[in-house]
Amino acid sequence: MKILIAEDEALSRRLLEKTLERAGYEVITVENGKQALEQLCKHEGPRLALLDWVMPELDGPGVCRAVRTRADQTYVYMVLLTSKGSKEETVLGLESGADDYLTKPFNAEELRARLRVGERILLLEDRLVEARENMRFRATHDPLTSLLNRGAIMDLLSRELNRSRREQKSTAILLGDVDHFKRVNDTLGHVVGDEVLVEIANRLLGSVRSYDFVGRYGGEEFLVVLNSCDPNYAPGRAEDIRKSVSHRPIQTAKGPLSPTMSFGVLLSADWGPRPVEELLHEVDIALYEAKGAGRDCLRLAKPGPQAEVLSAALSQSARRRD
Amino acid sequence: MGETMKRNEESNSQPVWNQAELLERVDDDQELLRELLTIFKEDYPRTVKILEGAVAGGDLKSCASLSHSLKGMLSNLGGTRAAAAAAELEKLASSPVENHLLKEALEVLQSEAASLLPELEAYMTEVRH
Repeated sequence: MKILIAEDEALSRRLLEKTLERAGYEVITVENGKQALEQLCKHEGPRLALLDWVMPELDGPGVCRAVRTRADQTYVYMVLLTSKGSKEETVLGLESGADDYLTKPFNAEELRARLRVGERILLLEDRLVEARENMRFRATHDPLTSLLNRGAIMDLLSRELNRSRREQKSTAILLGDVDHFKRVNDTLGHVVGDEVLVEIANRLLGSVRSYDFVGRYGGEEFLVVLNSCDPNYAPGRAEDIRKSVSHRPIQTAKGPLSPTMSFGVLLSADWGPRPVEELLHEVDIALYEAKGAGRDCLRLAKPGPQAEVLSAALSQSARRRD
Repeated sequence: MGETMKRNEESNSQPVWNQAELLERVDDDQELLRELLTIFKEDYPRTVKILEGAVAGGDLKSCASLSHSLKGMLSNLGGTRAAAAAAELEKLASSPVENHLLKEALEVLQSEAASLLPELEAYMTEVRH
């Protein structure tokens, strides 16, 4: 484990360094508070720190205060090392954000024991963060495919549409549905159906850029959001994504299957500022058109009278997409 | 007799060098001990020289900070009496004080440090043989 020693006096610094190296730590040494702060604010910097109270540039309590004001960073366990020893000073040190306090000259055994306390606290924090991240993942992801769930992808889509509007860019929304999926479930069973959905999710995810989003919108419906997507290239990219699903058979427990997908595609730049629900409705109509055109294809949602007619027709009929 | 001298007499009951404490701190690592001594022999005279200037010039802030550093290195070496003398000087310099008191305290510190070094050297020679 990495540990930072901030001590301006060379002899004490070397002594601490050697003591902690012997205890198995990966030691980083600095000579003043400013350098200490730089180290502690680094990505993957040390999470354990021994800080001298009196230091040039920034003193130990100053480092503690600065570290504690950072938001969203991993916890740093800080021990102030000092020859100061009055109750007032102890309170001041702890109030500045230090976790512990050790008077100089230190006793090696006590120092090691106190650092082990720090390690236990950091381990506890790691476990809590892991548990929180697991809960956050479960709340935002589909348990079968591990893709973003409907709520999460809708949130991201809304955010992305606002951003593209601000930056005068275009977002491409792709709503895809697996063709004849019901037949897979009915004839081969839900286990095979699930295998197909998981593999399709993987293929969709593998076909987009790291900053695009893919979510499971419903049973066999998937929503793909292509951020900052040039409208001239969007249809081509959508076609590539569609083909990525059907380009080779999916191996299942009941043999290979070759599912295809139909897509509705919408470019936000074509539609101007409209609520996300409205845009999703329009892309849904385009998907319906793709299904009507024989499936295994995509249709672009364009504003115009034709879309409105279809929209009215759709709202009157209960649809079965399969 | 000045307050500093009185305090120093009190600290005379302590050893010049607390050998056991230092050996425990370095975990009987003679190599490390030699390294620390080398640092001390370089840093101590340099720091004291600057401290002399600060005392002569009545620069209390530097006086306090330099004697604080000396206190740190001396106490880590187990130089109990010299560390106490450095602490005394640091304390004196932390509030307005007559200059002759600072000078007196500095002399005590130098005298204590002067008796510490031979003890450390003697130990290192003994260990080498």
